Amino acid sequence: MAVTQIRPAERAPATGKRTLADLAHGPEAIRLLVDAVLDYAIFLIGPDGHVLTWNQGAERIKGYRASEVIGKHISIFYTPEDVEAGRPERILRQAARSGRADDEGWRLRKDGTSFWADASVHALYDHGRLYGFAKITRDMTEARAAAERERQLAVEREARLAAEEALRARDRFLSIASHELKTPVASLQLAVDALLMSRERGVLDQGRIERGLERIERAVRRMSALLVELLDVSRLERGSTEFRFAEVDISGIAEEVIDRFAGVEPNGRIQFDLKPTVIEADGARIEQVISNLLDNALKYSARPQPVHVRIKHSKQGALIEVRDKGVGFSLDRKDGLFEPFSRGDNSVSVPGMGLGLFISREIVAGHGGQISAESAGDGKGTTFRVTLPANQADRTNGSG
Amino acid sequence: MAPARRVLVVDDDEGLRETLGEVLTDDGFDVRVAWNGRDALEKLDGWNADVVILDVMMPVMDAFGFQSALDERPEPSPPVILLSAAPGLASAASELGAVSVISKPFHLQDLIAEVRRVVGPMDGTAPTGV
Repeated sequence: MAVTQIRPAERAPATGKRTLADLAHGPEAIRLLVDAVLDYAIFLIGPDGHVLTWNQGAERIKGYRASEVIGKHISIFYTPEDVEAGRPERILRQAARSGRADDEGWRLRKDGTSFWADASVHALYDHGRLYGFAKITRDMTEARAAAERERQLAVEREARLAAEEALRARDRFLSIASHELKTPVASLQLAVDALLMSRERGVLDQGRIERGLERIERAVRRMSALLVELLDVSRLERGSTEFRFAEVDISGIAEEVIDRFAGVEPNGRIQFDLKPTVIEADGARIEQVISNLLDNALKYSARPQPVHVRIKHSKQGALIEVRDKGVGFSLDRKDGLFEPFSRGDNSVSVPGMGLGLFISREIVAGHGGQISAESAGDGKGTTFRVTLPANQADRTNGSG
Repeated sequence: MAPARRVLVVDDDEGLRETLGEVLTDDGFDVRVAWNGRDALEKLDGWNADVVILDVMMPVMDAFGFQSALDERPEPSPPVILLSAAPGLASAASELGAVSVISKPFHLQDLIAEVRRVVGPMDGTAPTGV
């Protein structure tokens, strides 16, 4: 804030006998005070909008001398557009009505240059009669420019932080993706090396060939699945995934998924309660969600602890619930669970890219449904709940 | 003839541990496989390995959990070769006191050579050839 400058005694009274203390009680003191203010243009305006008085601050800010401006209409200070729009008169009317009007905007100096004015117009009434207005204007061009620079800097700072975060996310992505791809590549290379070595040693029998081929196939399938997952993430993040909605029975889909996992899990580990639940959904995508949730539950709890899958009708449509007794999570982790590449801190050693829950959330959102996770805390197990609307038309009507 | 040297392969990738088991058996090693740290501890019960080939990230019990459980046992712990695709393998190796690290993907010949190098001097005899 600039300090208001008041010029010293150069305009002191000519009599030489009176002191400032004498003056302070007379009306002239006010005139002297106002005139001496340099940082504010302070002047009186007649009821019709003509300038009546002029102080040094007004001369300094607007460039007119008192003799050039007194008697002129205040519209000379406004831009042609503002004059065209009737702004000077409107401000005065507003002040007359409310007692005061604030008026901020670009104004013109005598030399035609513009400045940013922060002004207030005060109506002067005496016994109900409007005598005119007092106008106080401040040149805020510099302050405004400084604020604009500050704002610009903040925008740039934010953009830089976002770019840095994007870089970090990309590095994290590359590090995790490359680790995940290395694993099946290692299996593939090992299977091939082993076949070659067996041949070299003359022990390559039919059994070895078949086992080798199976391992190669598994590794290649794992790599393909990883690539699909990575592509899924990039598509879902861009929002360019297309869903193919049709009438599907969620319990049938869940049954298929459970069958697939049951083959490699101890008997009875996957417990389920599947009620026929037909809704309008993208069956392949919902299969992905159930598969991700079940895979998660099995991964984050130790064999032979059971995992429960439940499908049933809900108020909105369908409810999918997958419950485990595994590592669980603490409340502060809850928000991050569904973010891409987020991995449970309590299980850094669980393999996977940390994309399953992110993909699931995006698929559920694409159906207009909701996904949530609950845990009583670290080591207390986790329950994932997905609700899906019965049909997609309802959803469009509902949200539109 | 000295008895066959014992190798324990610990990896959650079934294809990898089965293949390694097969090839090392061809090479004259006495091999057991385990799919995680806890499984490995069970396999080591009453069967002392001359070397453990150990993955780092595994479900249920990872390399760190396995190593600390191993350190609590009264008998001397077998040397460990870390075999992993995990980033920061060198620091994991020093934390675990592993004798060497092989990062995935790897060449089978390199791994076999490393296993022979590690177990070779243990009973003072030269490693068995193929």
